[in-house]
Amino acid sequence: MSKFTFGRRTALGVVTAGLAAPFIRPSFAQAAWPEQTSIPDILKGSGEVRIAGYGGSMQEAQTKGYYESFERLSGIKVRPFPDANGPKVKAMVETGNVEWDLAQLSRGSIMNLQKRGDYFEKIDYSIVDDGVGKEYRFEYGLEMLLWAQVLAYRTDAFKGAVPTGWADFWDTKKFPGDRAMFGTGGGGWPEMEIALMAAGVPADKLYPIDVDKALASYNKIKKDVVKWWETGAVPIQLLTDREVTMTTVWNGRMAALQAAGVPAAISWNQGLLKRDAWGIPKGAKNKVNAMKFVAYSTMAIPQARVALAIPYGSVNTKSDEYIPAARQEVLPSAPAIKKQLVNYNYDWWIDNREAVIPKFNKWLLS
Amino acid sequence: MSEITQPSPIAVPLGAPRPLLLNWRRYVPLLLVAPLLIYMLVLYALPVLAMLLRSLNDPTWTLSHYAALFEDVVFMKTFWITFNTSITVTLGCLILGYPVALGLVRAKTMAPLILVIILLPFWTSVLVRSYAWMVLLGRHGLVNEGLIALGMIDRPIRILNTPLATQIAMIHILLPYMILPIANALRQIDPSLIRAASGLGATPFMTFRQVILPLSMSGVAAGTLLTFVLALGFYITPAMVGGPRDITLSMLIAQQVDQLNWAYAATLSAVLLATALAILAAARHLPGVGNAFKTSMR
Repeated sequence: MSKFTFGRRTALGVVTAGLAAPFIRPSFAQAAWPEQTSIPDILKGSGEVRIAGYGGSMQEAQTKGYYESFERLSGIKVRPFPDANGPKVKAMVETGNVEWDLAQLSRGSIMNLQKRGDYFEKIDYSIVDDGVGKEYRFEYGLEMLLWAQVLAYRTDAFKGAVPTGWADFWDTKKFPGDRAMFGTGGGGWPEMEIALMAAGVPADKLYPIDVDKALASYNKIKKDVVKWWETGAVPIQLLTDREVTMTTVWNGRMAALQAAGVPAAISWNQGLLKRDAWGIPKGAKNKVNAMKFVAYSTMAIPQARVALAIPYGSVNTKSDEYIPAARQEVLPSAPAIKKQLVNYNYDWWIDNREAVIPKFNKWLLS
Repeated sequence: MSEITQPSPIAVPLGAPRPLLLNWRRYVPLLLVAPLLIYMLVLYALPVLAMLLRSLNDPTWTLSHYAALFEDVVFMKTFWITFNTSITVTLGCLILGYPVALGLVRAKTMAPLILVIILLPFWTSVLVRSYAWMVLLGRHGLVNEGLIALGMIDRPIRILNTPLATQIAMIHILLPYMILPIANALRQIDPSLIRAASGLGATPFMTFRQVILPLSMSGVAAGTLLTFVLALGFYITPAMVGGPRDITLSMLIAQQVDQLNWAYAATLSAVLLATALAILAAARHLPGVGNAFKTSMR
């Protein structure tokens, strides 16, 4: 049986690699990239740091963005691993067999674990760059990548009409066609905020989420949602094959789709601004090196380089000076776009996810 | 397993060897399987056991996780969906697979080619095949375009993202597990029996009904069990091509692992495992099916 059970992250990695290959790379011409030429002595060292990310095109972007330059400047070797996920950190720490020094997770998954025990090292903020905003810092992790869960649509489906928010997503008369949304199948987080905004709740009044109200709003779109997707490649495939006219997507996936010539676009308004975060598993062998890498990777230039390689945003405010205006049009961190997005509140989800998901499951199956 | 660890009559030489030598030889089969046995025990059985224990001792010794399942609507529905899908898929495999097995055994020169065609999907990843089905079954995919071209439908129908798509894709993946045991059983039928039947005036259909079919039942049983038990554990295929409500038990387990509800996930896994084992155990006692285990071992 195990042959057929397939981890969500594994699937994600394979799909990322598979999908990325035939497409034109959604990265910016590399000649224009800024180059980090020196680092403070405190970030230098020896040995290695084992970093778990997601593999695929994300890992490629990180390699060009900051793995290579970190190795060169610090003298610390980077060993990337795919398949980062919270449950694995839990298993590693519990069995005392910590194979990663650093993992790319989210504030949600880090704090979800941390509230059950001691699974992460504290971040040493004395060496972190000043440009990294306060809102991205927390005791057991540092947010290091901005991305957005946004509305994407087929530009050829509505005779020129442009959807500009979730009320339009819900409006199947004005914007006909099937929909796809993020489900909970493989451990996702239901898009309760989106359902609430569709029902007219203003962006600054979303939290604390009124779950019953959100589900009541979901009821109105339920029959039109043909897929509750769980890996980022699926909505992209559905848009490409004209299986849906509108879906929620992870913004980074859309660049590849557009580069391949599919008539589809993002509507940024009311999108959810989410963040990935570095976490150092408790007892990591090279935790000092990991800490140095966390500090380096969130500096202005390394962050800008990743944003140039893959359309995800920087957490360092100083990165903007290294990113050309043309590139800013696709980055969730660009000021003009960021102000349209809604800050995802991981803290609310940390406290409530356990109660919300069974409710959502029950609603979905009813 | 027990078939293999039992001293096999082959290992005992003819004649009357010395008792000491006999003893030594008795353990040869055991020694041969020992590496695999230890490997499975240490790297598979023990971790599975440790995981299953979580359903009983997390946070303290309790049966409450199991008791809670009876009031768990999500579990009940998911279990039903999983069970129902597995039955449909198994039946589909049987109906499609039996004639192919028959053809495979009858074919003389074409047999290797047919075998390659049957096994080809084996060598492609489940993920890639699921994507292929997405392309084929989509509203603008080959199947819909074909049906429209033939004038059977006016406009595209929804096949992708429905339970039917899950069943089609799963049948495709599981067919070899049905065909091969049946073909194996068919091949062992003594051809003289068939000649005898027709010599005694039986029509080809009567020969099939009264000779071939009963004698192939061990293969049918083995194939059905194998297919069904494998179908119970499907995850990627229903997740990718299935309908909005196609949540299988494996998907629920993955979800619960991700949410760190490991005790609940372990409980669900235990139920899934127990279901599979119960079906295997029950099937063993059905008349004629017990042989399937022996046949499929060889």
